[in-house]
Amino acid sequence: MADFEPKIVAFCCNWCSYAGADGAGVARLQMPTNFRIIRTMCSARVDPEWVLRAFSKGADGVMILGCHPGDCHYIGGNYRARRRIALLRMVIEQYGFDPKRLKLEWVSASEGEKFQKTVVDFVDTIKALGPTPIKKEE
Amino acid sequence: MGILNKLLGKEKNGKKCECGDSAVSNGKYVADSPVAGFIPDLPVPPGGKIKIAIYWAAACGGCDISILDSDEKVLNIGTMADIVMWPIAADGKEKDIEAMDDGAITVSIISGAIRNSENEHMVKLLRQKSKLVIAYGTCACFGGTPALANLVNDANEVLKYVYTKTPTSADFQSQYAKSGAIIPQTSYQAPEGELTLPVVYDVVKSLDQVVDVDYFVPGCPPTQETITKLLDALVNFVYNNVALPPKGTIIGVENKTLCEECPRRKENRRIDKIHEPHEVDVDPELCLMDQGILCLGAATVAGCGAKCTRVGQPCRGCYGPSKVVQEQGASIFTAVASLFPVLEDDPTCDESKIIDIMSSIKDPLGYFYAFSMAKALIKAKVTEGGK
Repeated sequence: MADFEPKIVAFCCNWCSYAGADGAGVARLQMPTNFRIIRTMCSARVDPEWVLRAFSKGADGVMILGCHPGDCHYIGGNYRARRRIALLRMVIEQYGFDPKRLKLEWVSASEGEKFQKTVVDFVDTIKALGPTPIKKEE
Repeated sequence: MGILNKLLGKEKNGKKCECGDSAVSNGKYVADSPVAGFIPDLPVPPGGKIKIAIYWAAACGGCDISILDSDEKVLNIGTMADIVMWPIAADGKEKDIEAMDDGAITVSIISGAIRNSENEHMVKLLRQKSKLVIAYGTCACFGGTPALANLVNDANEVLKYVYTKTPTSADFQSQYAKSGAIIPQTSYQAPEGELTLPVVYDVVKSLDQVVDVDYFVPGCPPTQETITKLLDALVNFVYNNVALPPKGTIIGVENKTLCEECPRRKENRRIDKIHEPHEVDVDPELCLMDQGILCLGAATVAGCGAKCTRVGQPCRGCYGPSKVVQEQGASIFTAVASLFPVLEDDPTCDESKIIDIMSSIKDPLGYFYAFSMAKALIKAKVTEGGK
């Protein structure tokens, strides 16, 4: 298990978190390369179906990153997102996943360092949890 | 659709049927006539009777009852077709089906999910012997209630619960099973020979995950209108050579969601508490979601005529997801989560408060995926750390 490199899908909102990730890159902050970013217009644009699809295709963890509460480009998108993700976390827990495999975090456009820290922490969490319990499609 | 018609040996402009009734006047079967779905004195089809098999896999029998329940319309089936198998209402044994040529049965109507080896064997046999297979009812289309068993670890857990924990069997076990619980075995060596029972599978599947399915007829059970549409298509095909719908068609559904069929007044209110229908005095005209009753109408395809919501019961989603989404459950809980209002302290509040709010929804997986578990993206319970 020592050489387990998790696959992580990160949904970043266009206005804050994607810019934050960009900032982290420009500042040359070191990060593990286990994540793949999918840019969405808003964290509320992340349909729970996408998250479930990511898990069903074998993602070891899913991150959803959005603007801080109160800072949403669309005023209230992230409030919707966090209600959905709270509910989705209950659902994946019922499926038997460890709820820590799904992370919701707020990263603003200027927080490259927070982006780095979030990614590092999440990769550590997933490495500790091990590979996804979803069996490979036979 | 020429292929299907050719497959079934139908020629264009086939012989006219000798019929004088209004609904079949001039050889045309008028679907929207007052007697739609039922034609008195329906003649025997020009090409001879077709063969129909109706089978139940893991089903409650409600689907078969719904066919019988189609009043006088069911008589048309008798005129139009020979029923070669229908466990609930007619004779016809496995060996009779086995003796038939491949493709000898015109239509097999199969209800129920696939949860044991017998179900799988029979539907594969019927598929082989049939030209058309129709997944009839929600269990056959989407897994239905039986597929909720995918949320326990395996079939043994189900068997163990059923044969040792339920009150009636627990009583039996404590009285008679002195040396360990009696749980049915799949094979038993009796003095007279080996006795076998079907193997129960860990994962319940929908019909189309096991065999090729031509048409889907959802509903728990399908409504009379849906059955009429199915019968119309069959009668029209058999008598008038009207082409069948394209393969894979879901019969009886529309392009919109149930909300558009539901006559209730929608005010798009925010809700802060979830109620069960029996806990509140349900306003007969206001949208159930507006009253805090979880209703799956927004994620469910229209076609049933909103029978449940009209009488104050929330939609449970038996007609399946609307055409543009795959995940009925994800689709509805996205909507439900957005119904909770943004609070004064939302910008500053702790995440645990949001979790508290959402925890007012009990058993989200069981509620939102009540009928579509077998077709969900993640079809069964998983175990962290692997088995």
